[in-house]
Amino acid sequence: MLTREQALALVLRRLAALGKELGKPALEQADGQTRLFGETAALDSIGLVTLIADLEEDIRVATGKTVTLADEKAMSRLTSPFRRVDLLAEYIVEITSK
Amino acid sequence: MSLLSRFSSYSAKPALAGEWGVVTYAELTELIAKARRELVQLKLDRPTVFGLVGEHGPASTAWLLALAEAGHFVAPLSGNAAEHPAKLALINAQWIIVADALEWKLLPRVDEPSAHPLFQQLRDQGFPGLILFSSGTSGAPKAMVQNFGKLLASYESRHESDLAMLALLGFDHIGGLNTLLNTLAAGSLLAVPASRSPADVAATIARHHVAILPASPTFLNLLLAAGVAGDLASLRVITYGTEPMPESLLVRLKAAFPRVRFIQTFGTSETGITRTVSPEAGSTFLRFEDPDLEWKVIDDELWLRSRTQIAGYLNASNERFTADGWFRTGDKVEQGPNGTIRILGRMGEMINVGGEKLMPAEVESVVLGVPGVADCRVHGEAHPLTGQTVAVDVVSFTTDQEALRSAIRTACREHLARHKIPTRVTFVPSVSGERMKKVR
Repeated sequence: MLTREQALALVLRRLAALGKELGKPALEQADGQTRLFGETAALDSIGLVTLIADLEEDIRVATGKTVTLADEKAMSRLTSPFRRVDLLAEYIVEITSK
Repeated sequence: MSLLSRFSSYSAKPALAGEWGVVTYAELTELIAKARRELVQLKLDRPTVFGLVGEHGPASTAWLLALAEAGHFVAPLSGNAAEHPAKLALINAQWIIVADALEWKLLPRVDEPSAHPLFQQLRDQGFPGLILFSSGTSGAPKAMVQNFGKLLASYESRHESDLAMLALLGFDHIGGLNTLLNTLAAGSLLAVPASRSPADVAATIARHHVAILPASPTFLNLLLAAGVAGDLASLRVITYGTEPMPESLLVRLKAAFPRVRFIQTFGTSETGITRTVSPEAGSTFLRFEDPDLEWKVIDDELWLRSRTQIAGYLNASNERFTADGWFRTGDKVEQGPNGTIRILGRMGEMINVGGEKLMPAEVESVVLGVPGVADCRVHGEAHPLTGQTVAVDVVSFTTDQEALRSAIRTACREHLARHKIPTRVTFVPSVSGERMKKVR
């Protein structure tokens, strides 16, 4: 399993790499409060799906577990784990500790 | 002039080359006569179903032609022997011929003769039958019956040629049979490689000065990766078909084989192989130039009607044929100027990302052009955010997969619309078979 700090680091590292790919330097300066999806967010839907796919691969490498971050369960939560960086990190901790 | 009667004028010319050596048209004619005699000894009083087990070679070819001449029904069976019993049962085969190079064994098979109306219809008309198999959507084989007499007659207008061809597609595949019959009608040589590995194929091309290579884009990609292009100086024509040709691959092929002409072929097991021309060199568009074929595009799907199409399936409904004989190919096409079309892929392969659609082939073409990518397959994956998302399995030459993943996405971003960029890039040791799942 991953700690909250490890998960947060994974998300931020991925976001920075994606920012470099997309030519969006703001993503390299992201922190826990950075909004991922929704109005005024950093990523569009394809960008978010890409981030999620890359994170699933990172989690597999880090923990040996194959996880699905985006499924109906995640989507139907009252507070979407994909709204903010810190919420996503917490969701990763929850998923990997199962 | 019928195929067999042509052989006497080709007599001393080489017909089939392979691990058995080289067999001339005169020697092939003798083998056919021998098969004919054994057939007479069976004292069959009516057209009978034969399973013909073997790869391309003199014995299998001799029996194919002898059975057709005598008005029987023949099912060529190559490849994985584990699949043969089910197929032989499906067609109620009465006899099995196991052909290997120059030899054969004739084995009776205990079964009730088939009373299927398709066989009955051909019997009544006095025509021989050819039975080929295609993989149905469920994976179970579908047996297609066609009028073998009409198919053979369609090669009679072929001109004599000395350009040797390579047999890459199997003896049980409409494309492989088309190559064989084209070669025999033209009185040229069919060279059969020991295996379909790029090394064996290259060695066979060099040894027999093969001029025409019919291949699939997947195989041509392998050939480039194997680095054997230098050994293939005798090649004049490469024909490609069975799946969409990625434009980036065609560009690399033309660079590797500057003296070779690339011709696209198109065919389905149901309607036969069709003559086509490219509007210009290097174009992935094609135009049908075949007096025996009609075509039209309905809702982006290609429909064909040909004189050599199958009479029907033994074990499946004819739902892909309309009442007036049109075959819905299931191929999604784009129409270009002057009656040209381009094959985009299979109708069912379309990926829908948040309502925006794409075909795997256009993404594969870009990914294949990225340095470090050996091969790839693109498919749709269900995703709760966008309905479907684009995923790509990549076989890579490099160990720095992280950098390659980024390079793939960057290349796609440069060349493709936003929704076509693969979100999931997975590195795999190999990708399965042909780019298009359908066996033609």
